[in-house]
Amino acid sequence: MKSKPKVWSMFMLLLIMAVVAAGCGNQANNSAGNNTTATSQPQETGTAAGSDKDIVIAINSNFMTLDPHNASDTHSISAARTMYEGLMGFDENMNVIPVLATEHKISEDGLVYTFTLQENVKFHDGTDFNAEAVKANIARIQDEQNNLRLRKSFAKVASVETPDAKTVVFTLSEPYNAFLNKVAMAPMISPKALAENSADIMKSPVGTGPFMYKEWTQGDRLVVVKNPNYWQAGLPMVDSVTFRPVPENGARIAMLKTGEADFIYPMPTEQVSEVEGQADIIVDTTESTIVRYVTLNTMKKPFDDVKVRQAINYAINKEAYIKVVKSGLGSKLDSTMSSKTQYYSQQTGYDYDVEKAKQLLAEAGYPDGFATEIWGENESETIKGMQFIQQQLALVGIKVEVKSMEGGTLSDQINSVQTPEEAKVQMWYVSWSPSSGDADGATRGLFSSEMFPPAGSNTAYYKNENVDQWIADANKSTDSEEAKAIYADIQKTIWEEAPWAFMGVDQIISGKRSNLEGVKVFPDGSINILKAEVK
Amino acid sequence: MSDNSTVMGAGSPLSGEVLPPVKTKGRIGEFVSKFCRQRMSLTAAGFIVLLLLIAVFGPFLTPYNPDEANYEVLMAGPSADHWAGTDEYGRDILSRLIDGTRLTLAVSLSAVFIAAVLGTILGLLSGFYGGWLDRLIMRGSDVLFSFPDLLLAIGIVAILGPGLSNVVIAVAVFGTPSFARIIRSVTLSAKETLFVEAARSMGAKNGRIIWRHIFPETVPSIIVNVSMKVGGAILAAASLSFLGMGAKTTEPDWGAMLSMGRDYLSIAPHIVYFPGIAIFLTVLAFNLVGDGLRDALDPKMKN
Amino acid sequence: MGRYALQRLLGVIPLLFVVSVLVFMFLHLIPGDPARLIAGQDATLEEIMGIRQQLGLDLPLWKQYVHYMSNLLSGDLGNSIQSGLAVTDMLMSRVMPTLWLTFLSMAWALLIGLLIGVVSAVYRNRWPDYVGTLAAISGMSVPGFWLGLVLIQIFSVELGWFPTGGVDTWKSYILPSITLGMGIMSMLARYSRSSMLETLREDYIRTGRAKGMREYVVIGRHALRNSLIQVVTVAGLQFGFLLGGSVMVETVFSIPGLGRLLVDSILFRDYTVIQALLLIFATQFILINLIVDLLYGVLNPKIRYSS
Repeated sequence: MKSKPKVWSMFMLLLIMAVVAAGCGNQANNSAGNNTTATSQPQETGTAAGSDKDIVIAINSNFMTLDPHNASDTHSISAARTMYEGLMGFDENMNVIPVLATEHKISEDGLVYTFTLQENVKFHDGTDFNAEAVKANIARIQDEQNNLRLRKSFAKVASVETPDAKTVVFTLSEPYNAFLNKVAMAPMISPKALAENSADIMKSPVGTGPFMYKEWTQGDRLVVVKNPNYWQAGLPMVDSVTFRPVPENGARIAMLKTGEADFIYPMPTEQVSEVEGQADIIVDTTESTIVRYVTLNTMKKPFDDVKVRQAINYAINKEAYIKVVKSGLGSKLDSTMSSKTQYYSQQTGYDYDVEKAKQLLAEAGYPDGFATEIWGENESETIKGMQFIQQQLALVGIKVEVKSMEGGTLSDQINSVQTPEEAKVQMWYVSWSPSSGDADGATRGLFSSEMFPPAGSNTAYYKNENVDQWIADANKSTDSEEAKAIYADIQKTIWEEAPWAFMGVDQIISGKRSNLEGVKVFPDGSINILKAEVK
Repeated sequence: MSDNSTVMGAGSPLSGEVLPPVKTKGRIGEFVSKFCRQRMSLTAAGFIVLLLLIAVFGPFLTPYNPDEANYEVLMAGPSADHWAGTDEYGRDILSRLIDGTRLTLAVSLSAVFIAAVLGTILGLLSGFYGGWLDRLIMRGSDVLFSFPDLLLAIGIVAILGPGLSNVVIAVAVFGTPSFARIIRSVTLSAKETLFVEAARSMGAKNGRIIWRHIFPETVPSIIVNVSMKVGGAILAAASLSFLGMGAKTTEPDWGAMLSMGRDYLSIAPHIVYFPGIAIFLTVLAFNLVGDGLRDALDPKMKN
Repeated sequence: MGRYALQRLLGVIPLLFVVSVLVFMFLHLIPGDPARLIAGQDATLEEIMGIRQQLGLDLPLWKQYVHYMSNLLSGDLGNSIQSGLAVTDMLMSRVMPTLWLTFLSMAWALLIGLLIGVVSAVYRNRWPDYVGTLAAISGMSVPGFWLGLVLIQIFSVELGWFPTGGVDTWKSYILPSITLGMGIMSMLARYSRSSMLETLREDYIRTGRAKGMREYVVIGRHALRNSLIQVVTVAGLQFGFLLGGSVMVETVFSIPGLGRLLVDSILFRDYTVIQALLLIFATQFILINLIVDLLYGVLNPKIRYSS
């Protein structure tokens, strides 16, 4: 008698499982169908090492957006640059070079920029690239409604004129020394695409770049294919490029080793020594614009005393920092910016000297040190850096508590304060990279007293009226020699007043299969694939 | 005999089992002898005792200062000087493992203890009183159960901030509902037993019935589940560390060591292997003990 | 029974409502401002305010909730805060890898788990039992992410048998399924062992043996079938936990599934995506629970449902 309901329920179970299985089967078939359409294209996922001209690049996080005017993260900028180009661009040393403009002229007063455009350039949809296209793009960027990330870079543009199809004239409301860098950050979108589906720019990118959009599944892959009508003869030399976000360091390096990826960035520093000497893998390093430092809250005791801040700089052995935290791949930070940033000026001093540090602490009234805390993100290399700093400062009696926080939480902790007095941050181990490689981008947000959180990133709460004035002056300067001199003063003053513990400059480290050439990571961390070539 | 035990009781081998009212002493004696017959569990129990001793006397046992960096011997493999090698700062891994035993055990044991106390109270109340209280508590655990536990933990740690005490809270919170469910189902069956009905007919107050008659019946389940859950708690804490939400990373918590060391897996695997093995063996020991306890305490398993 | 089922089914609705409110509050309690995360390092305050306005994050919380609920009821899950893509599309593109992963994990876990459990029960207190027990308990004692990393190191990097991640071929699923299914396999092995032992003590099994039925018939046809039901029921319950566990496994193996989408969205405070995912997880979990619950009632006549 007992068995009857059991048999019935057994049947039910089987039924449910069958339904589930059938459902899965159906969907599986569908997805398989989709896959076939995807894979019938050039074998984008095929193993990289072969003779095919399709390459796979593994990066450490997702692309946030494919809207080139709205990108704020380096990876999105990399993606945009495969499909889009601006009037100007950057070379591998972050110098501004002409791209879609053949030449440019700047008026004496620094207010009028005249660009002459390349001719015979077409967007992927066949639309001509011309002065009107530039004007349409700038209009989109400047439109308040769109609230695009690039808008602030073009806030000083009063008007854009197009005397003829190959000339564009920008008139600024006041001189802006970094303007060419900003122009280099503004890719050109097809005006037809802008007019027809401005809301969906992200889903169907149309530019003039060497590669054309094929598919994007956020979190999985972005595939771009060769633009057969690219205006630069002979380029590009590969058929397709697939970008894959692979957050786990170990998995990324494994993909490179197995040949599933042709190029990975970033290459985990810890692994460099291991793959060095392997015939099929090449590690590329280049100095970056990414600086690492610890902000010391200059409005809080004991960091309000310049001697304490200097003592911290003497107490940290930066050579050991590079060796331990960066696995030897990096260099000491010897200014407020990296040597790859515009108007860099080298500083000297703060060589590792525990005695000097102790003496300075004693002079400041802290002979036995003090207790404080350091904040940073909970990503493993950052944690390692904080632990290193903790260990070093312990030797001069400063007891540091390491607080690692998840990125969003940390940002909230820093930016939810309205006045400097409320700020709880004491030390913050962080990095900065000026996205357009300009000195203003590497200075204003970090040292201007208008840039205390939440307005900016001056988490040292550094305030020096001279520096404030100089930042403004340099920005309006029309003479680059003059600007250079002003930035030299700024860097010297800040270096001496030490609102930071100056730590290091990252090296950009990427790994690639040895048969791949021409893929480069620029000092700002963006990946350039224009000259990619499989040999 | 209508009760509304639900399927969750299925997780506990004791559910629905009507235990005879035996004298406590006899039960303990029987249990000890049964448990000792299981060699695997006994070995595991010995290992746990050893771990506890290490946790208590750890500071006297470490060959090196566990926090002292030595940049001359970064990531050195196991050697006569450093039995388990050194980590990415040149710290002695064996010393850190020994020092970390205390932390790792403290976090998991206290999390499970909190979960057990809360879960038992809720389960007893829910099972004994039934009605709206039962529904409230069970729907509450349904709600907690409907989140992936990891997310719950991430959320709690994100709100409270990182740190070991918050990991304890997070792990305790997602451990509580399962205790509540198990204890509830034991309570349900205990409530129907003869001696409880006898006590009730003699006019005993509810509080007394719960405490004197029903609670002792749930003790075996509590013990079994505590021992089974400790392993899970260690793993959960390690997972939180893996996601960067765990212990203050300067502390030699095993999970944190493992998570920090994972980038070195291919160049210095010992940095990952040793903490991983430490976690594995400890969790294994607790699970084996839990398993042995269950067999020894489960009347169904009598030969 | 029918009435009870209906009651339980209706009970799901308030539960989901509570879950949705809790998820919403919970998310907004977590510190972090998506607008700031979108805007990037050198954003101005004005830009951030603009983004908040665009996303409706400047409205009072209850208004945001009403807005969200009314969209949800009309079947619109909204757009991702981070990427601006429609949440429905994002979920559709992510759901298959996770389904495959959980399905395969469950399949092998059930198969091996049952095998170990049955063998252990039949050879109770002999060496196969000890080996099986140790294997099962070892399986549940391994930290999943560690196992995943070690498997990648050995089988992908050293031996090159499987890809390191992704979902390009069926081979990609093997290592992640092993990792994800390990814990469940162990649990099922333990559970099926005890449930087999229980069944083997039942009267009808003894009768069967006494009647001289062959041992494999007794075990295969009678004992196994009875404990199978219970084991499968318990396995069903574990599906929800598998989805949770996929978070970790998908991260380690770079699988573009729902679990990883969840992690990415949490890091970005992508409220709309997290809400949608949690609601889906909750719904499927509650429903599975309900089905198992009802089945169990059918299965075990000792349990009656009082209304």
